[in-house]
Parts: sequence; structure tokens; C-alpha cells
Amino acid sequence: MKKIDVLLLALLIIFSIISLFPIYWIVITALKVNSEIFTTPPVFFPTKITLSNFYTPGERFGEVAQTAFGSFPWMINSAVVAVLSSLIGTFFIGAPAAYALTRYLKNVWLARTVLFMMMIPEAALVIPFYVMIMRMNLINTWWGLILVYLSFIAPLSTWLLMGFFSEIPRSVEEAASIDGLSAYKIFFRISLPMAMPGIIVSIIVNFINAWNEFLYALVLTYTPFPTGSQTVPLFLTDFIVIEKTFAWGGLAAAGVIVMIPSIIIGLYAQKYLVKGWTMGAVKE
Amino acid sequence: MNRRQATKIGLVFAAPLLIYFFVFFIYPIFLLFKYSFTNSYGAFSLNNFASMISDPILSYSLINTLYYYVGSVAIQFTGGFLAAIVLNSYSGRLKSVFRLILYVPLTVSPIVIALMWLIIFNPTYGPLDYILRSPINWFGSTALAMPTIIVANGWEYVPFVFLIIYAGLQAVPRQYYEAASIDGMNRWQMFRYITLPSIRPIMLIAFLLNSIGILQGFTLVYVLTNGGPGFSTYILSFYIYKVAFSYFNLHYASALSLLFIAIIGAFVYAVLKLTSVEKYLGLRRETEGGYG
Repeated sequence: MKKIDVLLLALLIIFSIISLFPIYWIVITALKVNSEIFTTPPVFFPTKITLSNFYTPGERFGEVAQTAFGSFPWMINSAVVAVLSSLIGTFFIGAPAAYALTRYLKNVWLARTVLFMMMIPEAALVIPFYVMIMRMNLINTWWGLILVYLSFIAPLSTWLLMGFFSEIPRSVEEAASIDGLSAYKIFFRISLPMAMPGIIVSIIVNFINAWNEFLYALVLTYTPFPTGSQTVPLFLTDFIVIEKTFAWGGLAAAGVIVMIPSIIIGLYAQKYLVKGWTMGAVKE
Repeated sequence: MNRRQATKIGLVFAAPLLIYFFVFFIYPIFLLFKYSFTNSYGAFSLNNFASMISDPILSYSLINTLYYYVGSVAIQFTGGFLAAIVLNSYSGRLKSVFRLILYVPLTVSPIVIALMWLIIFNPTYGPLDYILRSPINWFGSTALAMPTIIVANGWEYVPFVFLIIYAGLQAVPRQYYEAASIDGMNRWQMFRYITLPSIRPIMLIAFLLNSIGILQGFTLVYVLTNGGPGFSTYILSFYIYKVAFSYFNLHYASALSLLFIAIIGAFVYAVLKLTSVEKYLGLRRETEGGYG
């Protein structure tokens, strides 16, 4: 018994190193001075810590390069689009649909439709979306991105919430119904508040997905706030393309800034996530 | 309340989803059909499908997609399964801390992951080649570029499989093991006859969701290799993007999109038919509260 615990602990430590090392490396690269970034052997434990990578532009010939703090206009777009699309997708689409599917519509084809929406890859829809958003005159706008982001938020939010709604005891709703509340009032006053943990999971998961989304933003946006709706992954992409070979400090700093919101929010959501993903098929 | 009334109320609740589905799924797929079956002058044409047959880049992309998919599933499933089993068997005090640590990569943006591995895999200043004591140009080699992408992507999604399977393991009732140990089963027998059958549903769910997630892959290829070197990391999603937005051939790209949807549709359909995952997900018949 003792021996096996030591082995397990050793394995867990190895897994943890694999899990954390890349994050550690990008964080220390962001905090290193240039002389410790570009050396062989690489410096695993920096002796000097600096924050200058966050605000000093990389040394480019002739033009001023971007800095990590320069990502602010892109951050605004990301925040607005991710917040609005996850809220709209959860409250207006996912929650009522999940409620309908667990209470009123026993038709399996509707549940299959949700799975169908989830499985279609972004790349397969990007062409018609591009055409549609162009026709609606919404290219490079918040609403253009939000409308398109709902294509992955709406089905996922429905999927996640079905597990939560199916666990709310029917007796409460039945009692309310006997008291004369209409189906709609029961949903808004009783079922929705009781499914609040699920609502929070859905908002968080979809916020992270929208925050990280790349392909649609690449195709549908081209300038940062205030002239356009380009999001922060695109900021990072341009940064990578331009600075790939020499401004690693600034690059890593930008990466850290983009990484922080989703890690914090993700850690907070951790305990609810599994239940949502497995549609309540596992009870913790 | 009768059945018709219930359906009516249900449809009102489901209306936003259904409207969205028709406008942003059915109509786009209709557009894909329309573009696929016309040429750039708008006339009916089957050329887009005919040219698929003789398109070498499409064959590369399909083979690479298969390679990418099989490699990713192998890494992510083995890794996630192993980590879940190890953590579940471990009875120390740091259990929840380890769970949190092993989960973190899942929250990192793909674009940051691209950046991260760009630095780590760098042959001159990166830590990995120093540890391996040999400068290898990971992204510059046709043989290594794809495995490198698979590993980089795996780092993010192993935690997904881990998290789900671990939850499944935690949900196996303790009494089963107690009864088994009274019956004199050893550890392997317990694993084989109690653990595995108990987590089968959850493994199927993890497999299905994981597969769908892998086939969504695009960002890492776009940022890390841009399909290269040569065509060695062209996967279908990337090729569609290229045809549409670099070669501006919306018609051919639409036909490729339909092909992509058909492939994934066939795959998901096969998984649903061949396994019992539909039942566990409540897609086949109503199961109150699900399994467990």
C-alpha cells in the first residue's frame, strides 16, 4: 500500500510538471531581461525580474512595435463580444431551449439537432457566415461576431443546461402549477433560479470559448477598437508574425495578459464543469 | 395539461433556438449547396465535386486530418485516462490540488498555446531542445511538424478527457469495491470487472465530445506552421480556409465544407449507432437524471 502511494505521487508530480511547465515558461519569459531570454543554455530560474516587457516596444528597425499593454483596444472587443454573446446565448437561447427539451418536448430529434449544431466545425460554416455577415453589413462589428458566436454558444449552452434542468425536482414546479402559476411564470420564477449553478457554468464556459475563438474573428474582423471589432487572439497573431524572432519578452508578456482572464475564470468554474459536460450523466 | 398544450409551450420556449437553427445552420448549409453546385458565373456545375477527385492537396489534407485525428485521440485519451486512474488511486491529501493543476491547460487560449510552444520548441533558445541535448527544427521538418502540433494540441485537451473520466471514476460507489474485496478480488480484477464497466458510459461521452473538439482544430496549424512545411500540416479545416480566403474560390471551398460536414456527420452517426452513447446522453429515450 505504502509503496504504491509513492509511485502514484511520483507520477502525479510528473504530470503536474508537464501541465505547469509551459505556463511557467511563458510567465518567466515575460519577466526575464533580454540577456536571459536569448542565451544557451536557457535560464530556468531567472536571476533578474523585470516588468518592462509589458510596456517596452520590441526593438524594430524603423517602426514602433506593439507592446503587451497595447493590446487594450483588442481586449475591449474581446470582453464585449464574449460577455454579450455568452449572456445572450445562455439566457435567451440555451436556458429556455434546455427547459423545453427536459419538460415539454420529448422528441429526441430536437436533442439530436443540438448535437448536430455542436458537431459542425467552424471551418465548414465560415464561408456562408462570411457572406451573410457581409450582406447584413456587420463585418468588423461587435454584432457580426456575436451573431456568429451564437452558433457554438447556443447549442453548447442548451447541452450544458439540460443536465441541470433535468435534476430540478418536478414536485416544486407541480406545486407552483397547482397554485395557479402559468408555465412561463414557473420557468422565470422557479426553474430558472433553481438552475442558477448551471446558468453560471454555461456563461463561464461560453465566455472562455468566445474569448479564445480564432477563425471567425480572423475572417470577420480587421481593425481593433474603436474602428472595428478585432479581438485579442488576432492581436496576438499579428504580434507573433511580426515579433517571432526577436521580441520574445514582449510576446510572452502579451501571451500572459491574454491568458490571465481565461485561467482565472476557468479555475473558478472548475467544480461545476464536469456536471455540465456530461449532461448530468455523472453525479459527483 | 394535455400533450398538445405541452408541445405548444415547449415550442415557445425552444423558439429562439429553432429560429437561430434555421437562420444560422439550415440557411448556411443551403448556401453551401448553392455555391457548391454553381461555378463563378452562377451557372449549374458539378465541376467543384469533379475537381475534388484529382486534387492532390485535398488528398494530403484528408490523410493529414486522419493522421491528426488518430494521433490526437491516442494522446488525449491515453493521457487523460492514465491521469484520471492515477489520481483516483492516489489517496494523499493533495488530491484536489493535483486535480486543479492537471486541469489548468484546458483554460488557456489556443493562440497562447501556439505562442508558448513556439518558444519552447525553438531549436536555439528553447528549453526542450536543451533538455533533449539536440537542436531539432520541430516545425521545419515535414516528418516532425504534425507530431509537434499533435503534442501541442494534446497538452491543452488531455485535461478535458482527464476531467470527465476522473468524475466518472469518483462516481463509482464505494460499496462495490468493499463487496469485491470481501469476495477476494485483487486490484486488477476490481479494475477489470468493476471500474471499467462502471465508467464505460462516461468514456463514450468523453470520446464523442473529444473527437468533435479535435476535428475543430485550426488555430495551431494556422499560427505555428501555416500548413507547412510543404503540405505536411494541411488539415481539412485549414485547406478550406486557404481555398476560400487565400485563393478566393468560394465555390470549391463550399464543396469542401460540405465534404467536411459529411465526414463528421458520418463519423458521429457511426459512433451513435455502434455504441450506446445515445442512451447515456438521453438522445435515445428519456432517462430521468441519467446514469449512476
